Amino acid sequence: MSAGIDLAFKSLAPRASDWAAILPELGVAALSLFALLQAMVVPARLRWLIPATARAGLVLVAVMAVTGDGGVVRPADEALFGGLLRHNLPMAGVRLVFLSSALLTSLMAGRFLAARGAGLADYHHVLLVVTAAFMLLVQSDHFVPFFVSLETAAVGLYVLVGYLRRSEASLEAGVKFLVAGGLSSAFLLMGMVLVYGTLGGPGAGDSLSFPAIARALAAGKGTVLTLAGAAMIVGGAAFKLGAFPFHSWIPDVYQGAPTPTTAYLATASKAAGALSLLLLVTGPFAPLAAKVAPALAGLALLTLLAGNLAALATADIKRALALSGVSHAGFLLAAITAAVARTDAEAFSYPAENVVVLYLLAYVAGTFLTLHSLSAVPAREDHERPFISLRGLIRRSPAATAGLCFGVGSLAGVPPSVGFVTKLLVLALLVKAGLWWVLGAALVGVAISIHYYFGILREAVSRPGEDREDAAPLEVGAVSRFIIGALSLSTLAAGVLILL
Amino acid sequence: MENTSLAHHLLLAGLLFALGLVGVLVRRNLLVVYMCLELMLAAATLALVAFSRFNRTMDGAVLVFFVITVAAAEVAVGLALIVALYRRRGTVSSDRLDVLRP
Repeated sequence: MSAGIDLAFKSLAPRASDWAAILPELGVAALSLFALLQAMVVPARLRWLIPATARAGLVLVAVMAVTGDGGVVRPADEALFGGLLRHNLPMAGVRLVFLSSALLTSLMAGRFLAARGAGLADYHHVLLVVTAAFMLLVQSDHFVPFFVSLETAAVGLYVLVGYLRRSEASLEAGVKFLVAGGLSSAFLLMGMVLVYGTLGGPGAGDSLSFPAIARALAAGKGTVLTLAGAAMIVGGAAFKLGAFPFHSWIPDVYQGAPTPTTAYLATASKAAGALSLLLLVTGPFAPLAAKVAPALAGLALLTLLAGNLAALATADIKRALALSGVSHAGFLLAAITAAVARTDAEAFSYPAENVVVLYLLAYVAGTFLTLHSLSAVPAREDHERPFISLRGLIRRSPAATAGLCFGVGSLAGVPPSVGFVTKLLVLALLVKAGLWWVLGAALVGVAISIHYYFGILREAVSRPGEDREDAAPLEVGAVSRFIIGALSLSTLAAGVLILL
Repeated sequence: MENTSLAHHLLLAGLLFALGLVGVLVRRNLLVVYMCLELMLAAATLALVAFSRFNRTMDGAVLVFFVITVAAAEVAVGLALIVALYRRRGTVSSDRLDVLRP
């Protein structure tokens, strides 16, 4: 008996290759601890070292992740850590989404937090912990790492949203996010418990592991409670993504959060929601595709319409971008629906997973470009940025205006930006999968979004500023100008490259 | 143990979960809302332990430890946020959270 137990433990013990497979995540986690360490020992005049090392480290990790897991290229179907993790998604692109979001957030946070007298070391520590957790979340193949990494990220995000302790808006957004997020994790956990309990049993194997759940569901073991549990889990992931019935927290939280956190929420958190939803519906719940696909299609349709219509009604830029993010979540949901309803839904030889990752990368570039340009415009309160405050921006800062144009253009999907190309890929997927209603909603959504996106640009470009004192030229730092230029160029270049 | 079945445990867990949900939706005091959230997590944990015992699989019991740890971290951050908000605003009523409006 004891020999048997020994063998079981040996087969589950982590191998060196398991650790090598999560080297990028280990790197990010080490960077986060290093930020804290530096905060303890670095003297005050060398504080700039803390964000600088974090950024340099993130660049290095990104290079490592893109050039093939530190030289270890793994077959996609290999289980890691005894079945806890598995690389089911195109990991290079997925890691790039999270690493680039973290890097761009850090670049935006530097000046933003310094101007408000908030600490940089803690912000970077939490930011990097959340990034590492998201990167582990999207490789989960078992509900234990899934839940733990999702919650680690969620708790970190509560901190980042409420980070400005002296700002009522930031705290209020933090508390609202806390209650909404807590509710979603309670439902997620209950769903996991129901799936685990109804599919488990003597000899049924580990019913928290994704492949075991898929096997049990394919064998027709599920009951009504299992379905309810699956719905709760999918709902929990849809909450992260900000899909239709679960999107009510998004405008308030995005508006009140410090702008760098808003950008991070909009990109990394949304990406984590989209990718984990994709993992769930194509992994453990794949045998339920016949039930899941129509539900997802309905969610996508409603999300596309709700996000765009709500964005029409607001005059605050951060709120408008938050709600436009909901409509982008609709696009992502549409691509995920196509992946579930996959009748060989391969558009231009890109499978649905790659389309989702490409869409996310384009969305990261567009969002950060827009918010970076926006944060160059001073605001009395960070959570009050009405469209009108942009009036005459083109005279005050041509660089910020150009960035805003490229960013908003890419988000709106103006050809030949990368946003246009990725929207086209999603639409092609929808055509291949025959989801005509969703396709219609997507087209209507794009038409509506042009109105509010160009409402932002109209204020910035065509209306001359009156002769007031706040019409003075803006100083945009060299670093900001470089980031705006690089991102603008990349939205254009990536769009053209994918088209070719 | 002979007189209790899995159904009893699940019924109790379901009731606690529903009670917590009603509290979250109905109560205005943020601290009470937060307690109700924790009640929902505890209900899920109870169901988890019950399933683990009656299915005779250990995986659920292991997950409980993770859930408790995560809940502790969430409470630490959550209470810190609520206390900071109270210091700033002098109230923890969710009716008074009205800085962020369209």
